[in-house]
Amino acid sequence: MKTIIEVRALTKTIQNGSRSVEILKSVNFDVPAGQFVAIMGASGSGKSTLLGLLAGLDSPTSGDVVLDGTSIGELDENKLAGVRGSKIGFVFQSYQLIPTLTALENVLLPHELNAGGSGLARAKSLLEDVGLAERMHHYPVQMSGGEQQRVALARAFMLKPPIVLADEPTGNLDSVNGRHVLDLLLSMNRNEGATLVMVTHDAAIASHAARCITLSDGVVISDELTAVGQQ
Amino acid sequence: MAQASLGWATAAKIAWRDMRHSAGKFIFVLLSVAIGVAAISGVRSFSQAFRQALLLNARNIMAADLAARMMEPPTQAELDSIAKLQRRIATTKVIETVSMANTPGDPYPILVSLKAVDPAVYPFYGKVQLQPDETLVSALNDDSVAVGADLLLRLHTDVGGRVRIGGREFHIAAIIRSEPDQLSSSFAIGPRVLLTEHALELTTLLQPGSRRLERILFLLPVGLRDQVESVKQKLIAILPEAQVTDFEETSPALSQGLDRSTSMLSLLSLVAMVLGALGVATAMHGHMEQRLDTIAIMKSLGARSGHVMRIFLLQTLTLGVLGSLLGIVGGLAVQAVLPTLMARYIPLHPEVALEFRAVLLSLAVGLMTTLLFTLPPLLRVRGIRPGLMLRRNVDTSGGDAGSKGKSLSPAVNHFRGHWPQYLAVLLILVGLAVIAAFFSESAMVGGWFAAGLAAILLVMLGLSKLVLVTARSLLEKTRLHLPSVVRQGLANLYRPGNQTASILAVLGAGVMLITTVFLVEQSVVKEMKLTSAPNQPNVFLVDISPQELDGVEHLLQQQKAVKGEMEAVPAVGGRITAVNGVAAGQLKLENFPKRMLQSVSLTWSDELPKGTHVTKGKWWDAGTTMPQVAIGNGMAQRLNVKQGGTITFNVEGQELVATVAAIIKSDGQHAFSRAEFILPKGALAAYPATWYGAVHVDIDHVNDVQRVLYAAYPTVTIINVADVLETVRGVVRQIAVVVEFLAGFSIFAGCVILAASIAGTRYKRIREVVVLKALGATRTRIVAVFSIEFLVLGLVAGTAGVLLANLLSWILLIKMEADHPTRWVVSILAVLATALLADFTGWIASHRILGQRPLEILREE
Repeated sequence: MKTIIEVRALTKTIQNGSRSVEILKSVNFDVPAGQFVAIMGASGSGKSTLLGLLAGLDSPTSGDVVLDGTSIGELDENKLAGVRGSKIGFVFQSYQLIPTLTALENVLLPHELNAGGSGLARAKSLLEDVGLAERMHHYPVQMSGGEQQRVALARAFMLKPPIVLADEPTGNLDSVNGRHVLDLLLSMNRNEGATLVMVTHDAAIASHAARCITLSDGVVISDELTAVGQQ
Repeated sequence: MAQASLGWATAAKIAWRDMRHSAGKFIFVLLSVAIGVAAISGVRSFSQAFRQALLLNARNIMAADLAARMMEPPTQAELDSIAKLQRRIATTKVIETVSMANTPGDPYPILVSLKAVDPAVYPFYGKVQLQPDETLVSALNDDSVAVGADLLLRLHTDVGGRVRIGGREFHIAAIIRSEPDQLSSSFAIGPRVLLTEHALELTTLLQPGSRRLERILFLLPVGLRDQVESVKQKLIAILPEAQVTDFEETSPALSQGLDRSTSMLSLLSLVAMVLGALGVATAMHGHMEQRLDTIAIMKSLGARSGHVMRIFLLQTLTLGVLGSLLGIVGGLAVQAVLPTLMARYIPLHPEVALEFRAVLLSLAVGLMTTLLFTLPPLLRVRGIRPGLMLRRNVDTSGGDAGSKGKSLSPAVNHFRGHWPQYLAVLLILVGLAVIAAFFSESAMVGGWFAAGLAAILLVMLGLSKLVLVTARSLLEKTRLHLPSVVRQGLANLYRPGNQTASILAVLGAGVMLITTVFLVEQSVVKEMKLTSAPNQPNVFLVDISPQELDGVEHLLQQQKAVKGEMEAVPAVGGRITAVNGVAAGQLKLENFPKRMLQSVSLTWSDELPKGTHVTKGKWWDAGTTMPQVAIGNGMAQRLNVKQGGTITFNVEGQELVATVAAIIKSDGQHAFSRAEFILPKGALAAYPATWYGAVHVDIDHVNDVQRVLYAAYPTVTIINVADVLETVRGVVRQIAVVVEFLAGFSIFAGCVILAASIAGTRYKRIREVVVLKALGATRTRIVAVFSIEFLVLGLVAGTAGVLLANLLSWILLIKMEADHPTRWVVSILAVLATALLADFTGWIASHRILGQRPLEILREE
């Protein structure tokens, strides 16, 4: 199967006051297209940093990330924006909707940034799929956390990205909403074939993944197929 | 159990640590306070320094210990009395008048200001600086003069050349670099010429009745210099027609002018102060919004509202003091700039220094204004309930403190919960009125200022809110049809936490102020441009002797460029000895010094003059000899005389009791416009008169007519109104520059507030930038979105400000009876300039948000 994400000796060091902190230490792994990968680890293990580097939201200290054949390490900001827009759908833990735009406009945003033509029909369809057809003209401040996260999901899937990165997408939700969001993500993964990489500390959620990579102190300590992945 | 209490020391500790943590935000607050204080401190310090410079140089400025100003030369009896007064008192005369001058070979004359002195004696203090450097005695004699540099430019000549004045040619010996008593002299309507008194006599310019200003300067011997007041009183008795002043008064007109302009400029600076204080209030409101959780936690631990308020009160006090100190430093810069703006007309450069009283006053005003305006947000602490913080995300009721108990109407509930804030607003208005009253030395002006400013700000706020609501409504209807970048830029105006309407109101108020000044100045200056209506005189002739009158009229009739006949006005000198039978000395007059009664100009006409109409009473029949008089409404009010009353004149020693037959109004455009008292010809024609003429000349040929007249009658002064208007226009422009400079502080205050608000939402903006980048937005796109937001802010503020400026200037100009067109180009340019300024300010305040690494921000989540 085609490898859609390649991580090569990825290292990230940051300055914390007068000392250097190595958040990621020479991480290596590949993700085949369509796989659902859970990244787990204790708080401070480097999971969110790893996800961010995969999305090109920061640059590594050394090493490289290749997304769908494109090495993102040497790209300038504008080209990186293009890669993010066309290849990645990102779901944040805190929803990160633009507060001055309606739900519909938030979902439309990736299309307006990266594609031509009208994306209105798809945006409306996505909002229907996530059960928010009647809230599409509401602002984020008028919605609950669960509703906001569903809008964020719809936004992430607007351009049918081959890769979806989710950083603790259910972390701020109650169990009912969390379950709903997870179901939507799994549905996108299975039905649309999107590669899903999700950071989570919830073993129950990780059990739905085909593969689980565990980090500890910036190092991959285990990289195993789960029961689902072995089927 | 002991009640929890927050001591001042603890409050100070918390306040200080909180301020250090939010240092970036508070820099804008400091600037907001500093701007207004800088303006006030600069103006007041300059005024005080100028006054001190006047005092220090007082004797130099007067060039004497005492001076007596009069329009007519003193009589021999008066001169004898002065000589007898004190033999050791030295005196010298300075005569000032205007005349025409040209250079041989160039027939076109210009209007010049002549000053005749005795170079052996004048000045008693100070020195006339000449170039080349020589004494006045060596430069001036019967055949040579010293001139201002602008005369050389205008007549295309140089030192060593020749100039013709009146009937005589002079050698130009030197350039006048400075005169010590320039501030005490009359306003120079043309380039200055210094000559000896005898040289002036030789020009034959001064005839009986000629227009002149005489100043007798007095130098007291050393032993008498502390008895200036008693000598002054004696001089007043000897010279009842003169205005006698001592060196401490220097130029009364100048002192009064300084007082008035200080008041006005202080009020203008107060506007900047108020706008800055609004910025402080906005910033503190925002700051406290961010500290709601802290306040709730403290209250849940038992702290009372008053104790919690101490923290923010201490922060406000600290910011007020620091901002005021910063402003005082800024005031030094203002103090340095002001003399440069006025250098052309005020040749005095006071030292730039901290003036103690001005500094103290500025500190007090800065602190008081800051505290007053911060009261409403501070008082909010009372209404914050701790429990609300636990469910703030779901309970949007606002925790109205007035909703306890019975169910009341929302308005009543609102008032019950917020009455201290309303009281605070009232306190603000009262405080503002008190400060304005202090600056203007008038309770009424203070009251009107406060009310007017409050009204303007309320209107601006209303206008801004209306524009925003309308824009939002339009946006809701059209948003999906708009380009995405425009939609997002516009939607950003309504970002939660934005105080868009307040910012627009403050920035708009600053734009309104400076635009109003500009529009009024432009209209007033434009009004001064001459029209070419064929029936309006544009050239005035002064000091035509009776012997010259016929010749001048005949000569003008021969000029093709002259349209119509010359309007000739005779002027007979006299004085008023009684009004309605009450002797002049016992009259109670308002706004009219009694000494003005000692020298009045009478004229005669049998017909109602051109450009004049009767508002009360009736004009007399032609040929009547009965003593009657027609006076203007203003003069009637000053003398407190009505139609039917009497005015007793003394002309050449003869009493003339004239009945007020008519109250008249002149259009100000004709020769008789300057006439204060018009009598029938039969009553005055027997007395010696000097004539004034007014004629309309084709604008393109005024110089030619001047040339012809000057060649034939060099002692007749010809005033081209266009030239005079040009000089006055220059003065008006200079004043406007100073006013606009200080009005600019208001715009600066508006920009600081805008920057503060943008900086206050900095974190939200950074997060938006991060999300947009994560979604694939390029830097160009992000820049476009924010630029649209800032530009629209500026456009709205500019539009609201310019609309109100047009309305205000329209009202002012109507009251001034001046033309009041809508100046579209200026208005549009002002709106565009505001938009660009807002964009520039927005990006200054948003620096580095584009460069933020997304992951750094997201990691903080």
